[in-house]
Amino acid sequence: MLDNLGTSLKDAVKKLAGKTVIDRAAVDELVRDLQRALLSADVNVKLVMQLSQAIKQRALEEEPPKGMGVREHVLRIVYQELVRLMGTPGEVTLGPQTILMAGLQGSGKTTTTAKLARYFQRKGLRVGVICADTFRPGAYDQLKTLCDRISVPCFGDPNEPDALRIVREGLPKFRKLYEVIIIDTQGRHALEENLIEEIVNINEISHAEHRWLVIDAALGQQASEQARRFHEAIGIDGVLVTKMDGTARGGGALSAVSETQSGIVFIGSGETIEDLERFDPDGFISRLLGMGDLKALVERAEEAVSAEDIDVNAMLKGRFTLRDMYKQLEALNKMGPLKQIMSMLPLGGMQIPDDAYDITSTKMQRYKVIMDSMTPPELDDPSMIGSSRIQRIARGAGVTPDDVRDLIKYYKIMQRALKGMRGMGGGKFNMQRMMKKFGGPSR
Amino acid sequence: MFDSLKKKLQNIRTQFASNIEEAAGAEPAPPVTEGFEEAQAAEPEPPVFEEEAPEKEREKPTLFKKVKVLVREREILLREKDVEEPLFELEMVLLENDVALPVTDEIIGRMRRDLVGQHKKIGSSVDDLVASTLRSALCGVLGDGLDLRDFIEGRERPVKVLFTGVNGTGKTTTVAKVGNYLQKNGFSVVIGAGDTYRAGAIEQIRTHADRLGIKVIQHQAGADPSAVLFDAVQYAKAHDIDVVLADTAGRFHNRANLMNQLEKIRRVMKPDLVVYVDEAVAGNDAVIRADEFNKAVGTDAVVLTKADMDPKGGAAISVAHTVGKPILFLGTGQGYDDIIPFEPRVVVNELLGDEA
Repeated sequence: MLDNLGTSLKDAVKKLAGKTVIDRAAVDELVRDLQRALLSADVNVKLVMQLSQAIKQRALEEEPPKGMGVREHVLRIVYQELVRLMGTPGEVTLGPQTILMAGLQGSGKTTTTAKLARYFQRKGLRVGVICADTFRPGAYDQLKTLCDRISVPCFGDPNEPDALRIVREGLPKFRKLYEVIIIDTQGRHALEENLIEEIVNINEISHAEHRWLVIDAALGQQASEQARRFHEAIGIDGVLVTKMDGTARGGGALSAVSETQSGIVFIGSGETIEDLERFDPDGFISRLLGMGDLKALVERAEEAVSAEDIDVNAMLKGRFTLRDMYKQLEALNKMGPLKQIMSMLPLGGMQIPDDAYDITSTKMQRYKVIMDSMTPPELDDPSMIGSSRIQRIARGAGVTPDDVRDLIKYYKIMQRALKGMRGMGGGKFNMQRMMKKFGGPSR
Repeated sequence: MFDSLKKKLQNIRTQFASNIEEAAGAEPAPPVTEGFEEAQAAEPEPPVFEEEAPEKEREKPTLFKKVKVLVREREILLREKDVEEPLFELEMVLLENDVALPVTDEIIGRMRRDLVGQHKKIGSSVDDLVASTLRSALCGVLGDGLDLRDFIEGRERPVKVLFTGVNGTGKTTTVAKVGNYLQKNGFSVVIGAGDTYRAGAIEQIRTHADRLGIKVIQHQAGADPSAVLFDAVQYAKAHDIDVVLADTAGRFHNRANLMNQLEKIRRVMKPDLVVYVDEAVAGNDAVIRADEFNKAVGTDAVVLTKADMDPKGGAAISVAHTVGKPILFLGTGQGYDDIIPFEPRVVVNELLGDEA
């Protein structure tokens, strides 16, 4: 996810710590590291150069406010400039609207269309989907299958070669019945003129309120050019970044944002239909700078779980028992993979070992069964579980003692990780507050 | 293809050459000068001239010494300073063209190592020196090509080809295209519909295959891909088919279970060739995932898709360098014939614009 970019940036910033005077050499070094971090995150080369120029100039010319350290001063400038680069988040209105999806082949339009349908459905709107991809074989089947799973109607005809006709037929029908209509289109790239013409026409007859561009997080320097052409053709007013659950850092999306003068609307971060997050630029940057983003986590948690299900604060305080883990495992189904949740917590520079995440749904199920065989005191204080208790629990749960030991090992990894988090907590929160105070949003 | 990178590289070459000439402080041989003027007339780049002017002045004090060396030794030594500026320019060009950062570093490092400390004999063309250095750097990175036809000829039938890659790079389309290519070259082909996860994937490969008249072995959605592909291999054996093309579901390299599944597929069908599919428009991540796939299931060859989207060719350079495996094909469009065998030497020649 984005933590990779965060790590390199953090290294760059760390070098400034402890300095009392801003010297050119230190700033140069920071800017160079920042450049490398952004370049390897696929941010457009020209954007990076502009950004680093601006940062360099401001860092050297502006006097740090009284009482503010050099590191904070420079960090603040970096943050502000990054916010500027990021643009404002694309708007999502929860009312009747038509959304036209555009993007390159294989960027994830169809999957994202279904995820969006689910998003609006969850917000209590009636959603209909139109499949205007008449070219790729199986496109209609794909969208239909995904929509059927969430009981959203899908209009289309795999035997009709004319996308315009499908839109012309489907749209009036759906407009009467549904509030939100999402039109999925065929993948195309900016150099295919007849396809660009097609989407211009679809845009005209659909009068879509929103024209969203779907960008693969791995898209490189080509992002600017493609976004510019799409923008010229249909006027993009929002960017969706997909495949953020891979290792790609999504810098291409920034180029697209800058070209289209729009903002990122959603982030797709997984293969299930629920894996779609609202984008929040502050959070994005906080995450970039390794400061975590509680806001997105809370937004998501409110939707999915009631407050008692998972007590983040208790976890942060280090009171983490098997009982918490049980709740956590239960909540996981609703909230998405642990790694996603963790990436939204303000963990600072802490690295959670990868094996902590490496827990599959079948394993989770087994863990729950094992914990069901434990007594309440055991759940509250796992340290009392010795080998004879393990034997008993294993028999009760119908698993091998090794499975029980496996669970306890997993619990210990989690506990250690959370303990580490507590140490980081205070300082980082302050940093974030500081950022909010001086930084972007009120600028 | 690769037009933009080509243009830029030629620009850089000229700049390298002129900088080195400056360093030498000697008049270049007449034919070379002509070449320069042509190139610079074609690609006027005013800022470069502005930047060069002060440097000339700075060089002046040492010029005298150099001339002495010149007279005595009849050759000049290239120093790091002389190549620094064009190297930075080259770095930017490579980055702008999606060559990943580590790979760029490597190329730049190689260029620097090769150029600095070179003795340039008076009269030998600077252009040649730069060209050959750049050529060897690029060739070293791109490696050798691989001819799929030759590969199949030399193997026991059926030859099993497994396609891997992350989501949305164009595996299924590539399977169809390669099937078409092989059929046209006189091989019989069967396709295993190993993507049982993504909705509509089986229908997609089925439709492609029907159009091309290729047999597809498929189970229903959600089936074990290893079983499907095993059946495809059995079918090929029973019917004397030359090549089995195995499609798989796209997966991210950081998903341990999905990568294990791929490992199982590999164990079960024992492919002769594992082809990693990625897109030419991918940025720095191309390097990371190519590496992860290579580590998890191995990669014998690479197919780069969507090369028509992108007149630049950076990802090709990055991926080829990271995996250290030949690029088999480039996908260049939506039609079944839009696939071209990749020949590195041709590409490098095209990039650098001439034979040398």
